[in-house]
Amino acid sequence: MHRGSRTSIVCILLLAIALFLGPWLSPWGEEHIDWNAIDTPPSLVHWFGTDGSGRDLLVRTMAGGRVSLTIAFLATLVSFAIGLPWGAIAGYTGGRVDQVMMRIVDGLYGLPFMFLVILLVVFFGRNPYLLFIAIGAVSWLDLARIVRGQTLVVKNAMYIEAAKALGVSDPWIVTRHVVPNVMGPALVYATLTIPGVIIAESFISFLGLGIQEPQTSWGVLIADGATRLHAPWQLIFPATFLAVTLLVLNVAGDQLRDAMDPQEKGVRL
Amino acid sequence: MTRFIFRRLAFALVTLWLVVSAAFFLIRAAPGGPFDGERRLPPAIEKNLLASYHLDEPLPVQYWRYLRMVGSGDLGPSFKQKDFTVNELIRAGLPISLGVGISAFLLALLFGTLLGTLAALGHNTFRDRFLSGLASLGLAFPPLIVAPVLVLVFAVGLAWLPAGGHTSPQHYVLPTIALSLPYIAAFARLSRVGCLEALRLPHVTTARSKGLSRRRLVFQHVLPSAIVPVLSYSGPAAAALLAGSMVVEEVFSLPGLGRYFVQGAINRDYTLVMGTVLVYAALILALNLLVDLLYGRLDPRVRSEMVASND
Amino acid sequence: MRVFLLLSALWCCVTGLADFIRIGNTGEPATLDPHRYNLRLEETILNDLYLGLTTMSPAGHIVPGAAISWDVSRDGLTWTFELRPNARWSDGEPVTAEDFVFSYQRLLNPQTASSLAFFMYPIKNAEAINSGNAPLNSLGVTALTMHRLAIELEKPFPFFAERLLYPTAYPVPPHAIAAHGDAWVKPGNMVTNGAFILADWRPQGFVELAKNQHFYDAFNVALPGVRYIPVQNATTALNRYRAGELDVILEFPAGELRWLRQHMADHVRVSPLLSVMYLVFNVSEPPFNDARVRKALALAIDRRILTEKVLKSGERISYGLVPSMVANYPTATTQLPDRALARNLLRAAGFTQDNPLKLTLRYFTGDENKRIQIAIASMWRSVGVQTSLHHAELNVHFADLRQGNFQVAHAGWFGENNPEHYLELLMSDIGDVNYGRYMSPKYDRLMRQAKRTADLETRITLLKGAEIEGLRDFSVIPLYSVMIRSLVDPQILGWHTNPRNVHGARYLHWK
Repeated sequence: MHRGSRTSIVCILLLAIALFLGPWLSPWGEEHIDWNAIDTPPSLVHWFGTDGSGRDLLVRTMAGGRVSLTIAFLATLVSFAIGLPWGAIAGYTGGRVDQVMMRIVDGLYGLPFMFLVILLVVFFGRNPYLLFIAIGAVSWLDLARIVRGQTLVVKNAMYIEAAKALGVSDPWIVTRHVVPNVMGPALVYATLTIPGVIIAESFISFLGLGIQEPQTSWGVLIADGATRLHAPWQLIFPATFLAVTLLVLNVAGDQLRDAMDPQEKGVRL
Repeated sequence: MTRFIFRRLAFALVTLWLVVSAAFFLIRAAPGGPFDGERRLPPAIEKNLLASYHLDEPLPVQYWRYLRMVGSGDLGPSFKQKDFTVNELIRAGLPISLGVGISAFLLALLFGTLLGTLAALGHNTFRDRFLSGLASLGLAFPPLIVAPVLVLVFAVGLAWLPAGGHTSPQHYVLPTIALSLPYIAAFARLSRVGCLEALRLPHVTTARSKGLSRRRLVFQHVLPSAIVPVLSYSGPAAAALLAGSMVVEEVFSLPGLGRYFVQGAINRDYTLVMGTVLVYAALILALNLLVDLLYGRLDPRVRSEMVASND
Repeated sequence: MRVFLLLSALWCCVTGLADFIRIGNTGEPATLDPHRYNLRLEETILNDLYLGLTTMSPAGHIVPGAAISWDVSRDGLTWTFELRPNARWSDGEPVTAEDFVFSYQRLLNPQTASSLAFFMYPIKNAEAINSGNAPLNSLGVTALTMHRLAIELEKPFPFFAERLLYPTAYPVPPHAIAAHGDAWVKPGNMVTNGAFILADWRPQGFVELAKNQHFYDAFNVALPGVRYIPVQNATTALNRYRAGELDVILEFPAGELRWLRQHMADHVRVSPLLSVMYLVFNVSEPPFNDARVRKALALAIDRRILTEKVLKSGERISYGLVPSMVANYPTATTQLPDRALARNLLRAAGFTQDNPLKLTLRYFTGDENKRIQIAIASMWRSVGVQTSLHHAELNVHFADLRQGNFQVAHAGWFGENNPEHYLELLMSDIGDVNYGRYMSPKYDRLMRQAKRTADLETRITLLKGAEIEGLRDFSVIPLYSVMIRSLVDPQILGWHTNPRNVHGARYLHWK
């Protein structure tokens, strides 16, 4: 594996471990209020300072990251659950079915999805489950296209031809032979979906339409921090965490993709 | 070709109808109504209000009434902005959203392609890694991070540019930058890959071996093919830009469509929400169609596909 | 340089904008039709456009407006107003008693669909007309002569002069409405009788008012005009104020108060708003039908922490439902937190450590509200109560409250210098604004008795009796009065803080 992608993956793992284990090491609870330390800048007691309600910002940032990452992961799973079978079936079946299924995907690209997601969340409550299902349900389109492309390649492979000749049923071939073979590229593209979902979630939370107090997410923390001109640490810490996470995920996704696509080598002008 | 456009237009109309219907029924199924507020409404008054907006009719009747109205180009009166119709509000808000959207898009396109091309031309050198890294950095700074920081630094701190409003061109500088950053990155990556692929094309290799000047090589042979992946991403990018403008409009208090949409959703201003969603959907569909047509012009393979799909 | 100065001077002459005051309003007005308005941010603008029978002095006192004087009959039922003979509409037409008759009939006409028409229900037959049960001309408003207006009331209502301050009581121009129909509110069509006229309105951009040359007191109006710019987000408002784009902002974020006091002290105007913020229990739902539970939750809250540590703008604590600023009304007695007693009460009601009380606290979206609810949840946790928070937009929040779809909720009531306005909230027959469905025969009896009484002192005593009764049942927990946090350019004179937070631009001028 590429050295750079290994570094990025190690970074992501370290971040995840910090987010999930960090709270155990901090003396402050996620909802604990320090009445005498409302809006205090970073200090030895509160490393990241406190928020407008007197809660430890380090602990809040970790908690927000857990929510953001969890939602991103679950939404990606949802998009996987739709996009993988969609692309595999379209690609494997081909013909009329393929045309109709891909035309639907084309049509859906034309929809203002972010708006429908916002309508859903505004109208049916700020429920984290709803949030990730809605985001996941709208971000499977790219995946479906890529899986279809890969399926077309795999479809003509010898062993599939052989299986067909032996009279193995189509569902069996798709689940046992096609899906495992397109899994790799699909997973790589999923890592590129995750930052997109993180942005979508923070975007909705930033508009005040996402996660509810006392739960939090990076989007909520950034939106709160953005209103505090003279408490810049409340913006800087969550914003840095979000930016670094997005960066690392994007770099990792890129490098994984490059590693799988050996085409791009040694052209120089 | 005409048949292709005609079919796409029919397809777009059906999509629009689906979007409007989805929005209509979503809104009506939601709790809370346009006349719920802080103050109480005696039942008699509530009845008067509902009747004056036809909200007391059965839902299918209202739906039919709305579709007929939209069909004739009338998006109805705004429930909350009582002195304006939705058409008037959109006429006021659309130029502002388009202003920010188009300038951000152009900035991203020009700057992104430039970065990507420069990186590709120096493939695997320090310059490539530096520029690619710079571009990746842009992806890590969505508008919700950049916008508040820009305001803090350039409007409040240095007082170079206004912090909000929309009355002069200066007002559009910060929103445009905040909105375009991630797309600069995306366009840079796409054009870099496009360039690299173009450099491997046979006619480019031939031209290079013939000793064609670097400048002519780049402008005549590499850029035209490199622009194809960039263009194919333009449709989705424009749609995402429009959505992203919601955050930017909120932070810079720009009275664009995005703000109308968010406020309309929050206030349950039914007609305004449906009107804005409709306009957004129409814009995105039109953009996608436009991109497809351009795409066909630039890439002969796609053109033949279009002809094929006409049968 | 000289050329530049000349040019800019010329520019100022052309536009005349240099002397305009640019006010950052808290949002976009939904309408400038005084009979269809609904929001406090519209009141501010309408108050500059129109002049009611009574109006407000810079300090917020009730002073003669379109009427020079008025008389109240002995039984308190008939109010007679003497109109200003020199009052004119902005097109030069005289303002007559007939105009007021037309306006009040229009307000109460069910077809106008005015959401605040009930402000004028004290007028005879108003409610019946608005419900469609009586003809328009049966309204108790009569033009005695061209400049004499008589208003008959259903019941004595000593606070009527104050009710007339609301835009619902402003006159609208019959001739302009006849000429333009619904489009009469557009710039160019709108005719007003206040100090300013509507010059321009760009939705979400600005509302521009220009001086009304026909205003009876135009001589004393110094400003050539005002621009109201909607800025929903308080942080954006502050940024734009500091960048010099606004001369006044009507709200800035609470968290910036300390910094602003240190660095821009002569800009800061902080004063209490006539209001009460409170928590309400849904008493129709267990366990909140148990007074011990309600009392325990009330005793667990330390209001001093809320105002001094969380809000920090100098908010006044409310122990009663009537804000302490309301004139001639004795304030409620102090109630100190008592956590030990709160725990005992909870235990007595059957809630222990193994079986803790779990509840959902609802509030409407907003930074200040959020921090208050977080603090309250934390205080309740310290007596063993588990609170989950739920926030929704204002519309949805209050729709839920009215439908009784909540356990405990945060609510607020703004408005009048009149104790009844607040105490009505707990009457069992007031309708769904009694969110918690509180019902006490004694409370209702005292309130009804008060409303029939013309003598102010007896009326107040009865009202106070009702308030004590209501507080004893802990059906609501009054918390505090909201603070207005504005920034005003020190170059602007004539800006007085007042508890209604309405500042007539006719009183303002540049230094």
